[in-house]
Amino acid sequence: MTVFLQSLVLGLLLGGVYALAASGLTLIFGVMKVINIAHGAFLVLASFITYTLWDVVGIDPLLAIVITTPVIFAIGWATYKIVVSPIRSAPMASTVLLTFGLALVLEGAMGEIWGNNSTAIRPAYGDESFTIGGIFLPKAQVYGGLIAVAVLVVLWIVLTRTWLGRAIRAAATNPSSAQLVGIRTASVAALVFAIGIAAAGAGGAITGVLYPFVPGSHYQWIARLLAIVVLGGLGSLNGAVLGAILFGLAETFTSTYVSPSWATAVPYAIVFAVLLIRPQGLLGTRLREDAVAA
Amino acid sequence: MTASPAARTPAAGRPWTQPIWIGRAIALAAAVALLVYPLVTDDRYYQNMIILSLVFAIGASGLNIISGFAGYISLGQGAFIGLGGYTIGVLAARNPDVPIWWWVPVAGVVAALIALVLGLVSLRSSGPAFVIITVAFLFLVQVFAVNWVSVTNGTAGLTMPLPDWDRDIINLPFYYALVVVLALQLLMSWWIRRTKLGMGLIAIREDETKAATIGINLPVEKIIAFMASAVFVGMAGAIYGYYLTFIDPRGMFSILISVQLVLSMLIGGKATLWGPVLGAFLIEPLNEIANNSFGGGNARLFLFGGLLVLVVIFLPRGILPAIESTLMRRRTRNKAGLVGARIGTGGSLASLTDRVQVVDRSELPDRPLLEVKGLVKHFGGVKAVDGASLVVPEGSITGLIGPNGSGKTTLFNLIDDTIRADAGEIVLAGERIDGMRSWQRAHRGLGRTFQITRLFREMTVLENVVAAQSSFSMRGLGKIAVSGSEARAAEELLEFVGMRDFRDQRAQALSYGQQKLVELAQILMLDPKLILLDEPAGGINPVLIDRMGEMIRELNSYGKTFLIVEHNMPFVLGLCDPVHVLGRGKTMASGTAEEIKNDPAVIDAYLGEDFHIEEARR
Repeated sequence: MTVFLQSLVLGLLLGGVYALAASGLTLIFGVMKVINIAHGAFLVLASFITYTLWDVVGIDPLLAIVITTPVIFAIGWATYKIVVSPIRSAPMASTVLLTFGLALVLEGAMGEIWGNNSTAIRPAYGDESFTIGGIFLPKAQVYGGLIAVAVLVVLWIVLTRTWLGRAIRAAATNPSSAQLVGIRTASVAALVFAIGIAAAGAGGAITGVLYPFVPGSHYQWIARLLAIVVLGGLGSLNGAVLGAILFGLAETFTSTYVSPSWATAVPYAIVFAVLLIRPQGLLGTRLREDAVAA
Repeated sequence: MTASPAARTPAAGRPWTQPIWIGRAIALAAAVALLVYPLVTDDRYYQNMIILSLVFAIGASGLNIISGFAGYISLGQGAFIGLGGYTIGVLAARNPDVPIWWWVPVAGVVAALIALVLGLVSLRSSGPAFVIITVAFLFLVQVFAVNWVSVTNGTAGLTMPLPDWDRDIINLPFYYALVVVLALQLLMSWWIRRTKLGMGLIAIREDETKAATIGINLPVEKIIAFMASAVFVGMAGAIYGYYLTFIDPRGMFSILISVQLVLSMLIGGKATLWGPVLGAFLIEPLNEIANNSFGGGNARLFLFGGLLVLVVIFLPRGILPAIESTLMRRRTRNKAGLVGARIGTGGSLASLTDRVQVVDRSELPDRPLLEVKGLVKHFGGVKAVDGASLVVPEGSITGLIGPNGSGKTTLFNLIDDTIRADAGEIVLAGERIDGMRSWQRAHRGLGRTFQITRLFREMTVLENVVAAQSSFSMRGLGKIAVSGSEARAAEELLEFVGMRDFRDQRAQALSYGQQKLVELAQILMLDPKLILLDEPAGGINPVLIDRMGEMIRELNSYGKTFLIVEHNMPFVLGLCDPVHVLGRGKTMASGTAEEIKNDPAVIDAYLGEDFHIEEARR
């Protein structure tokens, strides 16, 4: 029973971190219909930057989010302006290929800068745990999960309670009409892309503390994140949160009760199954395709 | 400008200096050079490079069938090379007595069967979701190769028996076997492109829902395409694995192999015959340079990632199509465009072909050809169609009018299964069709045009028409579409609608009115019993409206039944009998044009009081 409870709590905490990382992916898709395959690479990049801040400068890795996130935001903004905006009108499959190329370039760059060896961030509290009623909860996981939820709440407030959030949703629903009512959709798109990447960055700063990583880790991450957003319904923020929690639980329970080596197959199996059985995801909606004007 | 006879048949009498012959000469020279190269030199480095290029050329060419023709971009194509390698590795180790080359075709079959599974997946997803699925597929296969140790030996990999022939010619059997497989692959691609199957695949790429409405059997065609895209790739993978003599999951199922295949196809030009081959022979040497001169690893990532980004942004169509359009521009410089040419006046269809003849009205059975009962479709809370019922008598031109948003187009969508109805019955010629898919309904004699025309934009006018399939059979799929009887029938129909001069233009170059005419010819190719026209007179000039009316009457005299949605009241009331009026998703009135014109409820809901005032002024 304690094993079960421990898996449950850890799975939920993990789900919070996944939700943060996946929120950017679903946001970018929702607003600009771009599936950003480089999302995992930006996440790993954030982990490496956090590593450097911790290793060289000596900043606490979880506090370093305050620095990492703006840096990744700026990188995301520049990326949008340079490579994504020229092909906004291209078919979706092209943007998938483009962002995949971007992921490979980022992987190569990280390999050049930080090397391809496994990197781990180990703060002083890395080995400490809270013990509540016989359940061991590693401190890093608890802090990481709580920070992730806090950032996610801020993001949610921005999207639903501010003028910016309304502009973003207007631009997502109908770009040309949004433009007519005075929303600069090009700027909104750049901003959304940067915010989405920054969310991945914040997630990466946390996951860097939880797991060791290499530049090639981004494949696992993008598989996970895609599985989450596909599960919840592409473009739906609430869906991504729900998907992330279910996914965090599924992964934790598979590695506890089955085996860690098969846990890596979980995301791929989920993507497969969901897209086959309910392609719109748990909370997604299917659009009328016949009413699309030329 | 009127088209000269020569322009009508561009294939005939092309001079030898035409680009197509120059292209063929280049291809021939390259093939000869490929065949004699290992005989004149035994430089192992370049032999190795060509062998790898051949593997990628076969892989990219196979990928081209699903991604180039059918438009399903796959990042899992590399899995079939790996599966081929593993098939030969596993089987050769277990059966030491069997000659190892025998496993090459077996590997092709295994790859095709697994492609069938991926094909089943494509039935449910498309676009970016499908790209993601293919990546998941590749990783899933890799996870199996790693974890299924008893068969695959896990991460330790498999060692193949060493070749037993003379070391002096060690590479040659691999080299020539791959040349043969590439030749087979290209032959198949070339053949598919010319058949009904190929037309169907390209139609699927351009507009899948529309493709279904012109009788294209989506699941069968896609699954055939998936199997065709993998079979020779599996064989190439087997030869490649044997050549390497050692295979492991990391090497054989690396995502970079898939990326290299996609890149090769994109750079050379997707949906072309030679593009993927050209691309493969350009990219593989670059890959070798990155590996040997820049230490592999990160350099390969920069190379592939960077190229992918650059190609998508700057060369989305690839090298061969770019060359083709440059040549085209040069050739047509200072010439008046055909696009501005006058639409032909056509002629009566009976004078063009003996496949139609005027029917005697009294011989037509007195029965409803189409009967719709209590059809319902709700979009969330919006009751778009809410219990609509109507009857289209055989041999009639029936009108369907109603205010905007009354559910007319949705009703059409339900009748041809562009959208599946929530409830209700649809009976065509005495047969329930509401459980059938679009293509099955098309095969039973239903043809439908769209309000906003939906031609296949990248296909030529002729290809658009021959893409239609009036029935389904495996033999029928293999029929040559771009010439012969199919093309002749299509040209007759194009002559009828007055668009024959435009046969080699891409559909996207046509005006809206011209597209309407081509779309009509396209569905006539189905030889439909019932033709649904969604606003045939909308957005076209008055002369063309008159011509459209004439054509409808003429087709009707051959026994074709029509159901027409139209807002142009003089057009509808002059042509149609009976007329149904739709309001709020229900049939609110039915009758002759005269009755409808004077029905107070219809005037109130749709025509308005002004209608009669305007009528009186005429």
